[in-house]
Amino acid sequence: MPGDHRRIRGPEESQPPQLYAADEEEAPAARDPTRLRPVYARAGLLSQAKGSAYLEAGGTKVLCAVSGPRQAEGGERGGGPAGAGGEAPAALRGRLLCDFRRAPFAGRRRRAPPGGGEERELALALQEALEPAVRLGRYPRAQLEVSALLLEDGGSALAAALTAAALALADAGVEMYDLVVGCGLSRAPGPAPTWLLDPTRLEEERAAAGLTVALMPVLNQVAGLLGSGEGGPTESWAEAVRLGLEGCQRLYPVLQQCLVRAARRRDAAAPL
Amino acid sequence: MIFCKRFLSVQQSCDRMKMINSNSRTGSISTADGSALVKLGNTTVICGIKAEFAAPPTDAPDKGYVVPNVDLPPLCSSRFRSGPPGEEAQVASQFIADVIENSQIIQKEDLCISPGKLAWVLYCDLICLDYDGNILDACTFALLAALKNVQLPEVTISEETALAEVNLKKKSFLNIRTHPVATSFAVFDDTLLIVDPTGEEEHLATGTLTVVMDEEGKLCCLHKPGGSGLTGAKLQDCMSRAVTRHKEVKKLMDEVVKSMKPK
Repeated sequence: MPGDHRRIRGPEESQPPQLYAADEEEAPAARDPTRLRPVYARAGLLSQAKGSAYLEAGGTKVLCAVSGPRQAEGGERGGGPAGAGGEAPAALRGRLLCDFRRAPFAGRRRRAPPGGGEERELALALQEALEPAVRLGRYPRAQLEVSALLLEDGGSALAAALTAAALALADAGVEMYDLVVGCGLSRAPGPAPTWLLDPTRLEEERAAAGLTVALMPVLNQVAGLLGSGEGGPTESWAEAVRLGLEGCQRLYPVLQQCLVRAARRRDAAAPL
Repeated sequence: MIFCKRFLSVQQSCDRMKMINSNSRTGSISTADGSALVKLGNTTVICGIKAEFAAPPTDAPDKGYVVPNVDLPPLCSSRFRSGPPGEEAQVASQFIADVIENSQIIQKEDLCISPGKLAWVLYCDLICLDYDGNILDACTFALLAALKNVQLPEVTISEETALAEVNLKKKSFLNIRTHPVATSFAVFDDTLLIVDPTGEEEHLATGTLTVVMDEEGKLCCLHKPGGSGLTGAKLQDCMSRAVTRHKEVKKLMDEVVKSMKPK
């Protein structure tokens, strides 16, 4: 970047070699619309963070770390009526600060580090989806920081980040009502489109519409929903949400096992 | 201050180092042209390299660019805040740039495709995933391993259109000329020196020193940002330790490269 004196200067402009490549990109192969890619999840792998989780689903790799609770920045806020269960009044509740970062080498085209609007939008989506699950009332005047790093984008990045963030929060021992599981969907352009669960990067790039659903599986409540793209009949979107919720439920046992393994590992490592 | 340290033995420093060069089917970053993940004790650094086209610099029309960037996100340690790169990240980026320049790890002339018109730019992005001290060593190893992993497609400039034609099917490795290896030391009051300090040791140290050696025992780079002084004899000691370390690391790296070769 020309003006950024905090980073090593490179050329003013550069183009990826793919622009000049002769061969065509292959079209995504036809597949079962409800297939979920096998997921590898591991919690408790970073030594410096309170809680951490790594999630790999197909080509998508996300690492998430949680730190805190620490004293919230910002002014004093007055009290109000206390919430149920001895929690702090609404104005004194804790805050969840989310940060979503994409590695420069994560996508097909290199993205220079200051990410811009998209990363902020996704960070906000993360925060909105995680807040219903975390018992913020138990952390008055404190803030929890969740940072997600996307190492490789293979499709459904936001869904993977949501799941990883929830796992990291659970690994950090933060009080939660339930885990949050994310699932991505996309709809290919065409006259009779079907919604595809857990799209790959190729499918996402060619999609006419995309949707990310976040579900709290045990409570069976939707924590977040983010969709964009071409409009369609409401039944189509309702169908997509239903498909997404099913996908989230199917993913839940894998995440439970991951947390149990992490707890066992921590137990074995701690001498006392 | 915890004075329970002594020179770490050669064996110990070897044990703390595990290099996971991800190019197997299960681990690599397929969107990057070259990638490597290095774990030095708890400190974890991932390096991803993306190659793009650019016009060569006007003052050196037969050279390409190598642009390193070290990122210390809030993920790796609670002392870093999100936002533009802080002081430590800038120092690390500049250090890596100096190592690349001084050790001539790749000749920039090799990156030129057509003098004055087209050259490769290698964006080397190093992200620290877990910060437990000795970030400079880990970054240098990760960079070296990732560069060994990079495969650039073949480019020809067609004569009729004067445009580049890229053949993504034919790829070749980079020509890595030297293998610089960094060895960091933490200095305690001019009496004690510790190789490969952890985060806690670095925090307590009164100074740090990083020595970068290449395989012929040539010193590429010396980084001593202030801190307590060192006698000449101690410095010599450090440099000979760096030479030994280089041998161990080179052996490890050769093993990893050999294990990824068959495709």
